[in-house]
Amino acid sequence: MLILTTLTRHKEMHGFEIASSIQEVSGDVLQVEEGSLYPALQRMLIKGWLVAEWGRTQENRRARYYRVTPEGRKQLTEEIEGYRRVQGAIGRILRLA
Amino acid sequence: MRLHVELRARATQKYEGGSEERARQAAQRQFGNQTQWKETSRDMWGWNSLETLQQDVTYAMRMLRKTPIFTIVSVLTLTLGIGMNTAVFSVVDAVMLRGLPYHDADRLVSLWEEVNGREDPATMSSSGARGRSAGRGGAKQLSISPANMPDYRGTKVFANLAEYDLTQMNLTGSGEPARLYCQRITERFFDVLQVSPARGRLPGADDLKPGADEVAVIADGLWKRRFGQDPALLGATILLDSRPHRVIGILPEGFESPSQYQLKDPIDFYVPVSLPQSMLTNRGEHLMQSVGRLADGHTVKSAQAALDTVSSALSAQFPATNRNLRASIAPLRDDITSSVRTPLFVMLGAVGFVVLIACINVANLLLVRALARRKETSVRFALGATRLRIVREFLVESLTLSLLGCAAGLLFGSWLLRWLIALAPANIPRLNQAHLDWRVFTVSAALATATGILFGCIPAWQASQAKPVDALRGHGQSGGSQTLRWRSALTIVEIALSMVLLIGAGLLLRSFAGIAGVDLGFQPERVLAMSINLPDARYGTAAERLRFFETLEARVRTLPGVNGVAFANRMPLRGGWSSGFTFPDAPDRTHEADFQAVSTGYFETIGLQLVAGRAIRAEDRTGQPAVAVVNLAFSRRLLGGKAALGERFRRGPQAPWITVVGVVNDIRRGGKTEDMRPQVYLPAAQTEIYPVRLADFAIRSSGDPRSLAKSIQTEVVALDKDQPVTAVRTLDEIVTASLAQRRFQLMLLLLFAAAALGLALIGVFGVVAHVVEQRTPELGIRLALGANPGSVMRMILMQAGILVGVGLATGIGGALAFSRSMESLLFGVTATDWRTYTIATLMLALVSLAASAIPARRASRVDPLIAIRYE
Repeated sequence: MLILTTLTRHKEMHGFEIASSIQEVSGDVLQVEEGSLYPALQRMLIKGWLVAEWGRTQENRRARYYRVTPEGRKQLTEEIEGYRRVQGAIGRILRLA
Repeated sequence: MRLHVELRARATQKYEGGSEERARQAAQRQFGNQTQWKETSRDMWGWNSLETLQQDVTYAMRMLRKTPIFTIVSVLTLTLGIGMNTAVFSVVDAVMLRGLPYHDADRLVSLWEEVNGREDPATMSSSGARGRSAGRGGAKQLSISPANMPDYRGTKVFANLAEYDLTQMNLTGSGEPARLYCQRITERFFDVLQVSPARGRLPGADDLKPGADEVAVIADGLWKRRFGQDPALLGATILLDSRPHRVIGILPEGFESPSQYQLKDPIDFYVPVSLPQSMLTNRGEHLMQSVGRLADGHTVKSAQAALDTVSSALSAQFPATNRNLRASIAPLRDDITSSVRTPLFVMLGAVGFVVLIACINVANLLLVRALARRKETSVRFALGATRLRIVREFLVESLTLSLLGCAAGLLFGSWLLRWLIALAPANIPRLNQAHLDWRVFTVSAALATATGILFGCIPAWQASQAKPVDALRGHGQSGGSQTLRWRSALTIVEIALSMVLLIGAGLLLRSFAGIAGVDLGFQPERVLAMSINLPDARYGTAAERLRFFETLEARVRTLPGVNGVAFANRMPLRGGWSSGFTFPDAPDRTHEADFQAVSTGYFETIGLQLVAGRAIRAEDRTGQPAVAVVNLAFSRRLLGGKAALGERFRRGPQAPWITVVGVVNDIRRGGKTEDMRPQVYLPAAQTEIYPVRLADFAIRSSGDPRSLAKSIQTEVVALDKDQPVTAVRTLDEIVTASLAQRRFQLMLLLLFAAAALGLALIGVFGVVAHVVEQRTPELGIRLALGANPGSVMRMILMQAGILVGVGLATGIGGALAFSRSMESLLFGVTATDWRTYTIATLMLALVSLAASAIPARRASRVDPLIAIRYE
């Protein structure tokens, strides 16, 4: 979900950029093994939520750039909705406490 | 991913400072295990299984190639086992198990008449009893007497019942004269078998009315071979034994009469006959065979019960002919295959053993191999392979091996089958219809595959249980005492099985040698015999037939290289005739002996010695006193040892008295497995005292008798251009052919025993090598401490010896159990013949010892330093 969100904000990014962005925006609260990004990206590629393209970075290094597809956006909407529901439920329980 | 780590390293360095090296390490740590991510990513694809399968297969092939000896031995072993099993079982299936090619063949039965009880056959009054001596429960089996048939038909257990017999007739008038097999049948024969003709019609009641034309039905094979499938044959007239027969029908292709299964040559004609009155009223004449189809609602059991009632009634009603006579039926298929049933099942058992041994060997090999790769397996576990992955890889390897073995086994099996069919003796019924049976192959292949999987994967599973650390340290290098126990057990079983096979082969070998060594009593070398069957139409009287043969004899005698000439009703080894007769002092007591009508040159030609009195002379002709020559067994068995010269006997109350004028040695007229029976030789020229026809002609030559065959044939043609000469064979050939079946069995069993022995040896070698490897550290220490290499070797040999010993003991036990089932195949040796057992034991022991010696010797040569380093 986080990956999709990040990608919707920028047109296309490669793996490192996505990881940096998440880290930045979350303010270093969310720290994950950065390698775990790649299987997730792969899965989303297969499911058709992303498309990928080989390109060149500014320093002329070869990198794979990922972009969200319409299906991806739909998936993102669903996932955010799901998350909000969970968030609401947890919030209600906490308020009662 | 590489880029990612680099960029992260740079970013860290930029923001946190420090050396490039530390930044890189930190980035690496933050990233995680690259390889793992790579694999997980690839896993996402879901093509995983297929890809890994392909990987596994490639890997398996590579591993198999790296250990060529193991691969070759395993594949060869599997090939041997699967191929042999497939071939032999295909034979058994075609001969024994497959249904006969008739409509609803399970309802077809053979009908025989049995003489029960311990009746002395000499007191039976049946004349010309052409029976088979193998009955059930010691009863003597006879052909049926047509006179009894109406009573059997009356039980209504048969939908149809018919009589038939086999004869040969001369076909003339259309091309070269030939003597062909002809099935004589009664009206309902084709109804019983439910056959429809391909063309024309089948015989009916009208064809058997007195005065009707003689008709014949032709087999498809003859129609193709001799008449070129000419449709004009239908309705044409052919000459059989010089009598015109009208062809009324042609049978469909592939039809075979029940009699066909005992013959290699085809049965070409079917001629309906009406039985003569004498045969229909004399209940003592057993001359024909019978086949019937059970009526609906009857089983063999119920039909047999009904027949038994009739048999006892007849037994009481006609005691002279039917006392202790019992009609018995058996399914047609069992009847046809009864003579080969035991040998075939023995073969099947033997080949089963070989397959078992083969599988055990492969299992052994796989166990060892898995053990050797234990280190590698543990390393892979340590690196994070899942148990499933490892086991799957072993599985693929075993399967690949099995596949190779099965494919090769199939090829070998089909080749072996063709070889078996070609070499088999003639009288195995339906053998030529054997083809590779897919069921068998599947079962064998499944067995081999299962073995492979089991013994390939179990060690992998075991290895996954053990702590990787142990394996890595090398403890497990030769470890697995459990594996050793498995292997030892398996090898013991192998040795036991080989032992059983070896003993079986040994017993058969001795039987064969026994039979081959039997003295026939006459000299079959350089004797050529042939059949000249003179048809009634041109040789109506016995006198005319006699004249033909005497003329021929005179002419052939002048040929160069001919030492002796003879003619008779039948030469030895070619069938014969037996008859009952009485002595003057006991006219109610009928004895039986083999009879023949022989010419003056007979004894000289077949090499039979005269012991007392004189031989048949030219003066013994019609009109002179009837004389006969008998053999020693005659006086021994029938006269109580009294000298036979001068004794008289006659074949019936109205027959002339015959005086014995000479005594000759005993011969085994029927071949090497026959007893010496009482024989009577009547002069051929005294045609009035014997009912059979002269048909056989023989010469003894100084050189190769076959070279004279053509000249004799020329002489026959000179006398009668339409007369075929058939069954031209030297007596030696006949003797060899009679042993053919036994020789074949022996050959097969020796083959199996050899295969089993070879495989067992590999097993023993493997186990001992394993033991040595396992004990290498210990042996090294012993040698370092000053042990004598010889004693080390002895130690190993002793351990091997115990193993082999247990196997041998088990094998002997097994052989004792199994060889009982082989008893009917043996001749002159019991199933518990200690000599055979001893020799087999010694042989197997010696060979196993030799196989153990090699690794044992290696044990004694272990370099103590290397051995200790193991620790």
